[in-house]
Amino acid sequence: MKMKRILFIFFLFMFAVTLNSYAAYFKSAVKSPPPVTVTGQVKDDQGKPIPGVTVKVQGTTSGTQTDVDGRFQIQAPDDATLVFSFVGFAEQSVKLNGQTVLNITLLESSIGLQEVVAVGYGTQKRSEITGSSSTVSAKEIAKRPITQLSQALQGTASGVAVTSANGQPGQGPHVQIRGANSITGNTEPLYVTDGNIGAAPDDPNDVETIEILKDAASTAIYGSRGSNGVVLITTKSGHLGKPRIEFNTWVQNDQMPKTLDLMGPYDFARSVNNQFESTGQTDAFTQAQLDNYKNNGGGTDWQKALFQKAWVQYYDLAVSGGSETVKYRFSLGYLDQPGTILNTYYKRTTLKSNMDVKLNNRMDLKIILSASLPQNHNNSYGGGLTDPFNQAVEWDPTSPIRDASGAYINHSKYASIQFNPVEQAMSQADDGTATNLNGTATFNYRIINDLTFTSTDVYSIGQNYLQRYFGPGTSNYDSKSDYINNETSKFTGYLSSNFLTYKHKFGDHSITATGLYEVQSGTSMGFVARANSLSTYSLGYYNLALGGAQNSSTYSSDALVSYLARVNYSYKDRYFLTASIRTDGSSHLTKKYSSFPSIGVSWNATNEDFLKSSKVISDLKIRASYGQTGNQNVGAYSSIAQILTPSSQGNYYFNGGMPGAAGTASVATPLGTGVSKSLEWEAKTAYDVGVDIAFLKGRLTFTADAYKNNVTNLLYQKPASGYDNGNTYQANIGSLTNNGFEFSVGGTPVVSRDFRWTTNLNVSINRNKVTNLGGLDNQVVGSGNNTVNAILKVGQPLGEFYGYKFLGTWKTSEAAQAALYGMKPGDAKYQDINGDHAYTSADYQTLGNATPQFTYGFINDFTYKNLTLSFMFQGQQGSQVFSETLAYLWGGLGDMKNATTIEAVPENLWTPSHQTDNPAWSNSSHNYNNSSRYVYNSSYAKLKNLSLSYKVPAAWLQRISVNNLEVYVSGQNLFTITPYKGYDPEINNAGNAITQGQEFGVIPNPKTYTVGVRLGF
Amino acid sequence: MKTKYSLLLAALALIVISGCVKLSEDPKANLTPQTYFKTQSDLDASVNAIYIALARDGAWGFTSKETSYFGSDDYTTDPGLNKQDQRDFDRLSGGSSNSSLTAEWYGPWQAIYQADNVITNYSKVNSTQALKDASAGQAYFLRGLCYYYLVRTFGPLPMVLTNLDLNAKPPRADVATVYASIISDLQTAKKLLGTTLAQGRPTTYSASACLADVYLTMAGWPLNQANNYALAAAEANIVIQAGVYNLSTPYDQVFTTNNSPESIFALEYSVAGGLPDRRFGSSNVPLDEVALDGSSGWDDVYPEINFFKNAPVCTRTDLTFYTTLKLIQPDKSFVLTPWNSTVTHAQHPYYKKFRAGLNGDGVNETATQILSIQPSTNKALDVIRYPQVLLDYAEASDMAGGGPTGAGYAAVNLVRARAGEAPLTPGLSQTAFRDAVVYERAYEFAEEFGMRWFDIVRLQLLPAVIAARDPSENSIPAGTVVAQKYLAPIPFGEMTLNPQWTQNAGY
Repeated sequence: MKMKRILFIFFLFMFAVTLNSYAAYFKSAVKSPPPVTVTGQVKDDQGKPIPGVTVKVQGTTSGTQTDVDGRFQIQAPDDATLVFSFVGFAEQSVKLNGQTVLNITLLESSIGLQEVVAVGYGTQKRSEITGSSSTVSAKEIAKRPITQLSQALQGTASGVAVTSANGQPGQGPHVQIRGANSITGNTEPLYVTDGNIGAAPDDPNDVETIEILKDAASTAIYGSRGSNGVVLITTKSGHLGKPRIEFNTWVQNDQMPKTLDLMGPYDFARSVNNQFESTGQTDAFTQAQLDNYKNNGGGTDWQKALFQKAWVQYYDLAVSGGSETVKYRFSLGYLDQPGTILNTYYKRTTLKSNMDVKLNNRMDLKIILSASLPQNHNNSYGGGLTDPFNQAVEWDPTSPIRDASGAYINHSKYASIQFNPVEQAMSQADDGTATNLNGTATFNYRIINDLTFTSTDVYSIGQNYLQRYFGPGTSNYDSKSDYINNETSKFTGYLSSNFLTYKHKFGDHSITATGLYEVQSGTSMGFVARANSLSTYSLGYYNLALGGAQNSSTYSSDALVSYLARVNYSYKDRYFLTASIRTDGSSHLTKKYSSFPSIGVSWNATNEDFLKSSKVISDLKIRASYGQTGNQNVGAYSSIAQILTPSSQGNYYFNGGMPGAAGTASVATPLGTGVSKSLEWEAKTAYDVGVDIAFLKGRLTFTADAYKNNVTNLLYQKPASGYDNGNTYQANIGSLTNNGFEFSVGGTPVVSRDFRWTTNLNVSINRNKVTNLGGLDNQVVGSGNNTVNAILKVGQPLGEFYGYKFLGTWKTSEAAQAALYGMKPGDAKYQDINGDHAYTSADYQTLGNATPQFTYGFINDFTYKNLTLSFMFQGQQGSQVFSETLAYLWGGLGDMKNATTIEAVPENLWTPSHQTDNPAWSNSSHNYNNSSRYVYNSSYAKLKNLSLSYKVPAAWLQRISVNNLEVYVSGQNLFTITPYKGYDPEINNAGNAITQGQEFGVIPNPKTYTVGVRLGF
Repeated sequence: MKTKYSLLLAALALIVISGCVKLSEDPKANLTPQTYFKTQSDLDASVNAIYIALARDGAWGFTSKETSYFGSDDYTTDPGLNKQDQRDFDRLSGGSSNSSLTAEWYGPWQAIYQADNVITNYSKVNSTQALKDASAGQAYFLRGLCYYYLVRTFGPLPMVLTNLDLNAKPPRADVATVYASIISDLQTAKKLLGTTLAQGRPTTYSASACLADVYLTMAGWPLNQANNYALAAAEANIVIQAGVYNLSTPYDQVFTTNNSPESIFALEYSVAGGLPDRRFGSSNVPLDEVALDGSSGWDDVYPEINFFKNAPVCTRTDLTFYTTLKLIQPDKSFVLTPWNSTVTHAQHPYYKKFRAGLNGDGVNETATQILSIQPSTNKALDVIRYPQVLLDYAEASDMAGGGPTGAGYAAVNLVRARAGEAPLTPGLSQTAFRDAVVYERAYEFAEEFGMRWFDIVRLQLLPAVIAARDPSENSIPAGTVVAQKYLAPIPFGEMTLNPQWTQNAGY
């Protein structure tokens, strides 16, 4: 509370300063010398005009932008200095000295110490920044046919680990900045788009730059939401000049990166017989049947039956232009993305309008309206036992898909006990549509030259509509839990960020102070209407009146009130200091207010005399920072005990049900498990030191950071004892650390008139360790997904697999010892830690870890004349995966009856004469335990992108009044170097950081081939 | 001037904005304990929550509720497949990490948690005393019943008779204390509950019937308080004398219909209502049986071979066991195959009585064809059937005094008559009569949800049961300390959360 008051006073003080300065301005209005008109053109080092370059008169606020042809016109005093700046290029200052025509060549800057970057609630020159951040530019984004914006972060920035959750269409990847900062909560960074907190644009083509804030000096300004890092996105705006039309399209073929090597019908039939013989049962398949399979094949390749090659299409049309007073950019995007398994797709239409209006010399207004209309069909296969994708590899290859009459065969005697995967995929429907609308208005008012008031106000509305059909043809219907449902939810959100920025330079000192008052609130509500056991399913999911109804509804509302004070100070453009404190008041917690301070310092040695003359080192900056941030992993109403109104099993039927009829419902309202009264945010204390160096005028650049992050108050769903209703409740239990080192090396090894090679390598090393669990040490955590357990243990990293250590098979010579375990030669052998001759949970041990030793991205561009070849490798080293998918292929685990992997053919299994380490079929229940047998090295290097693009020469295009035309072909995930035998080492279905690296039936990232065109009029 | 106004406007806007945002929470769509327990419907809905906690799939609605009972001879399961949890107990090797065992722990505890909530708050409600008593009576009955199952399965328990603070860590009270509380709850329920039979709800007779069984158990291991035999006989006699239950239903129909005149207390199920009973149907069907519609058996649970072979020869035995498998052929015809044929997967008999579910909503079949096999049924789960009261009475009256009584013979012979057996040999000794009743219980209640297992526990029968086992059953490891297997281990997770507890011996 105290901090809140102090910050509010600070804010009022800033207001007072505003009013005073305002008065002072009128008193001291100075006459400038008469202006002259300066014109010119800005080009890059290859002589191509650069549109959108900001041209400013130094020391004033007047400025303009270059038009499509890179031309500009500006009024300036004849002794003025003009400053040219553009993202990705080194800033350039030119003193007029009477010149009225200027032709400027801007040089690309890899490290970009001179470029102006977004820092949150303002912009700063990179040379002045004390924190650690990385930039991804539109140019980098355009190299790949990206469908979800977060994919652009993969491989392009150090300290950022991006892994695909799964390869379903419309699926965005997981992004983790400098390790996992929460054990059960959200570990994704906070996205801020044009000042709209918590939002990311859907169409990657609308993005101008992405700035990734990594250390606390950068992220503490976002307080209780900053601890996972912050991704600041600036979208494209209009340029000065005549209307410009850009058309961007690509067509892509997506396919499974590989198929697993499974048994055909002949091998499978032999294997089933082998299994039957082990228990004295008569063979399942006769010799005649075996011969038939051997000679004539038959049966079904279930992978082939379920997979499809999908044609993905993307279109984007943008119109932009503007005058001195109004600039605009409108864009329309459309994506049609079928999945790589049958009957799945994602479609998305996006609309965006950016308008910049200059109200007068001191006020301007930016209005952004955006709409996103995604559509999902059956994108609900996140991985798991019953997903068709998982069942396809477990299904009986001797079984046809349909019987002679054309009807699907629901079950097969030798398949898993689940359901025909092709039938399930083709019959079920899980359809979602959404309408997300967003309006952002940013009002800028330069009260005096040194003082600016900015207000960003955002209003968002979102509406979802879901329809589900699980009637005939689905496993739900088969097990009499058939239903249809319709559900809808609505979200409205409001954000108002208001801040004053005071910039002043006196002598060698320069100061920028920012005071912010911000409120954000959101309300969501929705309902689910569900009908069970419909009398007819002929109307699909369209008529809920045909079955027994089950309804539920939700409502949630929350608010955040924030204050921020930030001061940037620099001395002689060499020494920089940033200090900030943010106080967040949240409705979610009992203790409403928490404060998050930070401080960062840097030394820019470039301006020191000893470096100014250096021919080798062109830039050198050293940084250090400290700060605290939080993680809002506590939901609304978490500290309020509740009487529950469950939507399933919400009624009791005292008179019982009859087949097809529910009986008389009596509503039940159980008392929920208790709540913790003292919940707090997860708090991160972060330290960072870094260095940025550029050699040989930027031909070689190097950025490195070392950091140490301590996260305390870790939130955990703490299990409640049975007598406290079981289940879990949220509590702050412990702490962890993430320590790491990351660097990126960039350069332009070769530049000649026609040829240019640029390269960038970024490497990230993070070490994660749990340091305290508040007495819950050795917490065994089930993934809830049939896979192996994970363990939470002090001193160990997150993502530890926990189970038996597999030692191969008992050999004939060990028969006596095996008997002590009730086993026999050929059975599986595990490490018996406590030596009690029984395999129990006391023999569990850690089996591997999902977190990599390091991750990297390696990007190269080779340009020869108009031709550019780009490739990007991305990878990780020293990580492991637990593959339940592969475990199930051996049969016997869970509900899997028969082996399907080609490795389980009879001659590969243990026999007395051929004692392999693959256990023979046996009645021993321990042959099929989750164990280290299914832990695999998941290190990989992936060719994420390979593309060849050709820019049609401007001279040819002029004749057909086309401004620019670029055609390209590319491929993604073309090959992967990995020892892992499963589909894709990158994917897993971890619910949280504890169970990361566990994979079960997850659809892999597709291998894709793309042809695209970029056209500008 | 214009700018001055806009500044004022901005300042005003800020004040308005801050006024709009409140940090206090109002969960409009959620009920909270502070605002609840105002009306009888609040109370009714809270009582209903107890039933669901006990009846649901993760509690008593599935075979996992019976995991620790697999040590008994009326239960076994597949040597492979996904049955390890049950198989471990079948081999008397179950451990505390067994994930199915948790259904036996959490089901009753979650029902107790809801019952505590009702018992603490029912008097606040604005309603009639009669209605409030009826609600509280159900809560006391269900709480007593749940503690009764818990104490027989896990031994000493924490006494939690009101909802606790999350930081409270109660100790395990000794078994005698737990039984005292069970008797107190059931006696209270007996007073509060009425005599009118209402499907799905207990009556005062349900409380007496349960009390009779509780007293009989207290006379055996571990309390061995013989004075309880008389109390057991007296409570059972109340139910018998009331004359409201009878055995007029043919034995097989007890398992294919709901609410028969012998049902004293049952949990009710509704598939369409989202609360299926999955104890009947697929669970009891051989893996190799496939129906015409492609559905197949789960092979979860079936009897041990010698339990079947030692059954009395009578119609009840024929209706209980399933001995001829119907194996589908590629041409959709079925080949009738005896259970011990090597063509079959398990080479065990199965239970017939659990196949059909309610009117065939489990297995729908004829003598020569299986039409469909479903796991989710509407079959009510009989927790107390009248034969239990009769056999409790027969045994208790025999053991309370100097041997079998005429009324005791009459009681057991009622059960035998319906089973198609001749009356029990007259003039048996006290022990012989007791053993005959226990044998009768084994087959009257074959695999009925732990009845046989709890007889094995209270009478310490494991050595005899093990001796009778066919060698082809899942093997019991050498060196198993049988005396420690009468109690199941407290689930591992609960031990972690309650470091003040000591695990049961042998785990």
